[in-house]
Amino acid sequence: MDLMSNLALGFSTAMSFQNLGLAFIGCLVGTLIGILPGVGPIATITMLLPITFGIDPVGALIMLAGIYYGAQYGGSTSAILVNIPGEAGSVVTALDGHAMARKGRAGAALGISAIGSFIAGCIATVVIAALAVPLTDLALRFGPTDYFALMVMGLVFAVVLAHGSVLKAVAMILLGILLSTIGSDLETGQARMTFGSLHLADGIDFAVLAMGIFGFAEVLRNLEGGEQRDVIKGTMGPLLPTWDELRRSIAPILRGTGLGSVLGMLPGNGAVLAPFASYTLEKKLAKRPQDFGKGAIEAVAGPESANNAGAQTSFIPLLTLGIPPNAVMAIMVGAMMIQGIVPGPQVMTESPTLFWGMIASMWIGNLMLLVINLPLVGMWVRLLKVPYRLLFPAILIFSCIGIYSIDNNPMDVVFTGVFAIAGYLLIKMGFEPAPLLLGFVLGHLIEENLRRAMLLSRGDLSTFAENPLSLILLIVSAGLLALSALPALRAKREEVFVED
Amino acid sequence: MTAHPHPATGLGRPLLSQDRVAGLTLIAVSAFALWASSDLATGTLRFIGPGLMPKLLATLVGATGIILLVLSFLHPGGAMPRIPLRGPLCVLGGILAFALTVQSVGFAIAAPLLAIIAGLADREMRWLELLGFAAFMTVGCILVFKVGLNLPIPVLIIPGMVQY
Repeated sequence: MDLMSNLALGFSTAMSFQNLGLAFIGCLVGTLIGILPGVGPIATITMLLPITFGIDPVGALIMLAGIYYGAQYGGSTSAILVNIPGEAGSVVTALDGHAMARKGRAGAALGISAIGSFIAGCIATVVIAALAVPLTDLALRFGPTDYFALMVMGLVFAVVLAHGSVLKAVAMILLGILLSTIGSDLETGQARMTFGSLHLADGIDFAVLAMGIFGFAEVLRNLEGGEQRDVIKGTMGPLLPTWDELRRSIAPILRGTGLGSVLGMLPGNGAVLAPFASYTLEKKLAKRPQDFGKGAIEAVAGPESANNAGAQTSFIPLLTLGIPPNAVMAIMVGAMMIQGIVPGPQVMTESPTLFWGMIASMWIGNLMLLVINLPLVGMWVRLLKVPYRLLFPAILIFSCIGIYSIDNNPMDVVFTGVFAIAGYLLIKMGFEPAPLLLGFVLGHLIEENLRRAMLLSRGDLSTFAENPLSLILLIVSAGLLALSALPALRAKREEVFVED
Repeated sequence: MTAHPHPATGLGRPLLSQDRVAGLTLIAVSAFALWASSDLATGTLRFIGPGLMPKLLATLVGATGIILLVLSFLHPGGAMPRIPLRGPLCVLGGILAFALTVQSVGFAIAAPLLAIIAGLADREMRWLELLGFAAFMTVGCILVFKVGLNLPIPVLIIPGMVQY
């Protein structure tokens, strides 16, 4: 089958009345939850996971994809309107987006971010569709050594991309993998570090860990601040950017899309770098770089497109290799598993309707966001004016329902609370939770492939060097890790993350 | 996501620099994991046992902890930021109350308990507003999740009388 017939199959699936409706509801509730201050895509998807339980796998995944894009979009909306980015990707949007909002151009900032995201989404969908077949073929030829080396590279990327201390990021990755070893051993079935608890025998649930150290710990952090929410007052301004603004935005949108598409595919959460890279690039190319930070529309258009393109192409490693490149995709793994789908190269060959239907629904989801969200901006503004002392109990209730409903087990809720405190303390000690989650996600796969590789090579570690692909990947990883420890590069890395 | 330590608002004791606390915590976690995995067979490289990964990782976590600890003596760095008790205690209390009651008494009790106990975390809390909001959220969630989406979450269980 060629690209066109694949896409045709996808669109005929995604365009069914039921699936269109599911995509619509997904986008709408995804935005509704994602817009809450301090609630990022991971927490949003975990909260909303239960609403997809009663739906067939194709519909459920289409709805989840909608929730994901809605959450992304909601994150940028709250970044622009209140200057509280829900996740790392929207930090850059908050810089100039909120500055524009203060100048009475909130409408245009939201408009250009929706238009940019839509264009980025369209292009990224084509990129995914075009790369899916060749990458899946490649993935089917991967052996355990290659998989192991690829995941090591992903983890090294995560270290390089983490803010702050490299040593602390390494510690978090190791701790994440260590947590993933809790539960029954994959080969012998022996209980590992479970302390006789039946609940721990299945291992720690990813959603429970993620909700605890990401969602709830964030609530705790917000509670501290005696927060000053800076919801824009007065006029929103027109939602459509002027012709001049549109003209100035086209090139940044396309460049951002390119950057985001490439970085999003990298294992180890390259997507998080995309908005920063786009911002830096646009500032370098701008005629008036002094406007950046004061409400330059290019600084909203580029990073937002990069963010959205990256969010979308990060599906590629998941769908073709079965390796989630970041924590959001790991939640998607959990959601797919609940529906009885194991992500990996076999999905495309075994259930093409599901695979191509999901890809087509990505494009539809982007279109829906453009159509439904702009008219609803007034409602989002009202929602953002609800004080945090009422928002956070609501966030907690939704989260607890979500966590409880995954397994109908109250112990999961208890564990989430424990992880929340642990995550909060880790943040206080200057550790970042993102690398921990990625280590946890890849932990099982790393151990499984390491043990398989060792069994095949009869315990000979040189198998990693004899295999050309794994050798290259490991050399690249070692090089990156060494580079990130160099003082010159470290300074550069700080600069990228602490832009202005 | 990184908390920036402010020397002025720290615990005030230079012994407790952020990195030192971090290093000591990693060492403690490592020691605990080594103890917890001591009953697992390590195996050989050819036949890797269940214990190899946990022990190896625990050792490496400990090693990073030791490096952090040593470095904290060379570069003192920022002080450990103050950790408030009210927020974490209220939120954890609310979550535990929810977990304890949701299956035995039902969501209609668990949700308001969570909202009210956690709601105490905010100093600007107003009783009337919080109670009203808790009731509103509970009814709303029952309508959405139980009536609308038909999730198998118990709403109210009074033994011998109500089972919904």
